[in-house]
Amino acid sequence: MGIVKGDQMVLNIGPQHPSTHGVLRLKVVTDGEIVSDIEPIIGYLHRCFEKHCENSTYEQVIPFTDRCDYIASMNNNFGYVVAMEKLMEIKVPDRVEYIRVIMAELNRIASHLLALGVYGLDVGAFTPFLYMFRDRERILDIFELTCGARLLYNYMWVGGLSHDLPVGFVETVYGFLDYFEPKLKEYNEILTYNKIFIERTADVGVLPPEVAISYGVSGPNLRGSGVKWDLRKDEPYSVYERFDFDIPIGEGTVGTTGDCWDRFYVRMLEITESAKILRQALKDLPQDGDVHQAIPKKIRPPKGSIYQRTESPRGDLAYYIISDGSPQPYRLKMRSPAFTALSVLNEISRGWMLSDVIAILGSLDIVLGEIDR
Amino acid sequence: MGNYLGNIWETITTMLTGMRVTLQHLLSIRRNNVTLQYPEERWPRPERNIGFDHSNYNVIRSRLHVDIDDCIGCLKCERACPVDCIKIETVKVPNRGEDIRSIGHTGITANGTKKAMVVSRFDIDMTECCYCNLCTYPCPEECIYMTGGPNSEKHEIDYEFSEYDRNDLIFRFAKKVSDEEIESATSVSSGEES
Repeated sequence: MGIVKGDQMVLNIGPQHPSTHGVLRLKVVTDGEIVSDIEPIIGYLHRCFEKHCENSTYEQVIPFTDRCDYIASMNNNFGYVVAMEKLMEIKVPDRVEYIRVIMAELNRIASHLLALGVYGLDVGAFTPFLYMFRDRERILDIFELTCGARLLYNYMWVGGLSHDLPVGFVETVYGFLDYFEPKLKEYNEILTYNKIFIERTADVGVLPPEVAISYGVSGPNLRGSGVKWDLRKDEPYSVYERFDFDIPIGEGTVGTTGDCWDRFYVRMLEITESAKILRQALKDLPQDGDVHQAIPKKIRPPKGSIYQRTESPRGDLAYYIISDGSPQPYRLKMRSPAFTALSVLNEISRGWMLSDVIAILGSLDIVLGEIDR
Repeated sequence: MGNYLGNIWETITTMLTGMRVTLQHLLSIRRNNVTLQYPEERWPRPERNIGFDHSNYNVIRSRLHVDIDDCIGCLKCERACPVDCIKIETVKVPNRGEDIRSIGHTGITANGTKKAMVVSRFDIDMTECCYCNLCTYPCPEECIYMTGGPNSEKHEIDYEFSEYDRNDLIFRFAKKVSDEEIESATSVSSGEES
């Protein structure tokens, strides 16, 4: 943060501000109502995740990964177990892979629903938030049916899953999809194409693709800028190469490519794609296969290291694990997509008004639990 | 000017579209009501007694419970816990698998294992518990479990256990026993036998 000149004023937003999505503090230098500089101050939610992992066994890390991105815990589990299985060269049964994909996509829908609903709340639309939470609740019910927990699952284990699917699970998910897919039209009517919402978000906070790439922004934020990059397609892990789905990108339908509305709309389209993957995965789900079969008795990976990235709802979620042959990781680093998304905030919100900063921050869909770890 | 009026027109029409959606919800409020008056009425918990063999799975997250008579003090759950909320202390018994009645110790578990230890402390701090369920899997006697669900025949569900004092959430399952107490208890019992 540079020198504050005579006409300028430093304004604090947060750390307990409702639109900062957690405990984030923004030090904003304003000139009148125009923002000239933003310094995000993070660390209020720091829980020593990486240091904790060095003192826990590999199984005990999984509940901690749940608590990083607490909105998409299944995807966090997924990234970790994929990395571990690559390090230990475990081949997991097909059924396990399919169940994992189903869970990850369900959680992606839930996470995007929260992101969209809360974004509406940030810019002043209260009703869509309630509708989206009502539907997210159904997904959480499905998770509760499967593993007993609604938010922090500890469901995916290295080499398998903690539980098999309950009887009637497939029908429940089909029922949910049949109920849910028509609702997307409703969301579009009430929020996406609302003129007031468009005025608040179109052309605001444009993130050009070059800037996005140079900052390392990933996930829907990058795709909103028109870059076709999705790890599920470009570097397929698990069984994602077997599914047929598109990668939606922002096209600047109502404004400039890479504005807040594009980032919002990409998430809306991704929900449709996730539903598409879900239907294919449910159709092909293998009926036989023991989910505990490939779980090793003792998790003791050979000496070496692994860097594995996966597509979480927020972008490239990567784990870097160094093993020294003991049952505890020597070092575990998590590359958080929300952290890089927050770093671009200063760049794209300079010159906008204070109320637009809230809209830009909301459109980046950050989760402070993952930024601070 | 035309642009100006066009914007106003668009605002009104899109707002009315949104209003139509909310009106539909208003009209069907009885049918699609999702709010429940919580303490009086509750959501039914998903049925968990279906689908698979329960000896392998423990599909519920609620309060941890220990059948202390079956515990052999192997410390496996303590080691599995990622947040160290389980604290166990044990005292060795002179004769393996023998009842010590004066301190209420049974020598043989429900599975028929002879106990070599008296568990003198088994504390679970439910304020620290992260409900990850990792402790229930390694237990060889299946004596630590989460209440309700597939375990409801062992212990009925205990979902809501709020307390006024934080210390009341530390559940102490074992009775405190010292070395001397066990020594005197066993010497008395062996004296009776001879």
